[in-house]
Amino acid sequence: MMASAAARAATFPGGVRNAAVIVALVALIVVLALGFRRDPHDIRSAAVGKPAPAFDLAALDATGRVSLEQHRGKVVVVNFFASWCVPCREEHPALVRAWERYRTSDVVLIGVLYQDSVDDGREFVRRLGTTWPTAVDDDGRTALGFGVFGIPETFFIGPDGVIEGRHIGPIDEATLVRGIDALRRSP
Amino acid sequence: MTLARSAILVALLAIAAALVLAAWPTPAGPEERVERIVADLRCPVCQGLSVADSPSESARQMRDLVAQRVAEGRTDAEIRDEFRRSYGDWVFLSPAVDGPGVLMWLAPLALLGLGAALAWSRARAPAAVAAEPEPGAVEALRGRVAREEMADL
Repeated sequence: MMASAAARAATFPGGVRNAAVIVALVALIVVLALGFRRDPHDIRSAAVGKPAPAFDLAALDATGRVSLEQHRGKVVVVNFFASWCVPCREEHPALVRAWERYRTSDVVLIGVLYQDSVDDGREFVRRLGTTWPTAVDDDGRTALGFGVFGIPETFFIGPDGVIEGRHIGPIDEATLVRGIDALRRSP
Repeated sequence: MTLARSAILVALLAIAAALVLAAWPTPAGPEERVERIVADLRCPVCQGLSVADSPSESARQMRDLVAQRVAEGRTDAEIRDEFRRSYGDWVFLSPAVDGPGVLMWLAPLALLGLGAALAWSRARAPAAVAAEPEPGAVEALRGRVAREEMADL
């Protein structure tokens, strides 16, 4: 007993032990403080700052294809949505107002139906009055390419095809206008 | 070498052998590769579930993409890179072996080394040696015990 106590004392003197406990506690507090300060809606996306993944999807209204490439040189806002998604319905008026504001300019809004049936998607856009191009991501590959977590999710793509911003959750008109105007002003 | 030191040495060798065997690469078939990759992919719409464990539609689509890429002949690293480009290192349940994530891998090794050092130092510590009593101390103690016993009577 005396020998083990002596060994412990020789290996980890009381001061060192106390210092180690304090350092561990401080590290824990710092980690928790940093973790709790983060906004859960502000998930860092690896896709932001990189070229947007190309897509060429069937139009929801069956009138042809909707691709990102055909809008190169414009500011493109890509909005992932589904008919079963309540927040998608909530944000829809903001998208309508933004589209009415910019539709005659160099801005394109593209809706991408995600994890939904085509029939339900068509009913959704008919009932809510969606007039911007809308495409069907039937196998989810486009959403996976963009790094979508959950819908609704909106991406802001600059004229050079690079994703410059992303919004998780229902978006409002002010956020849309701010994101679009920032890209229209950028050289 | 004492018995304790031999036991520590054998335990350390056993741990080292287990680590080597666990890390030894084994050839895997396509299905096994898919399972291995999706087991380390985080389901984006779940709370701490892997794509392998999640029944969600998103997880199913990710699994389908992995299976397709394996069938196309892509390497594991290429498939993982594709998900990393979209979701970053967040999408992997295992921390990255470069950048800050390397600390997560080194911490267990550091703790193992610390434990081994502690065990080694304790095994090497001198055995307990009782101090010789001062001359006359034993007689004084016996006398005190005898007096206390008399007092109790």
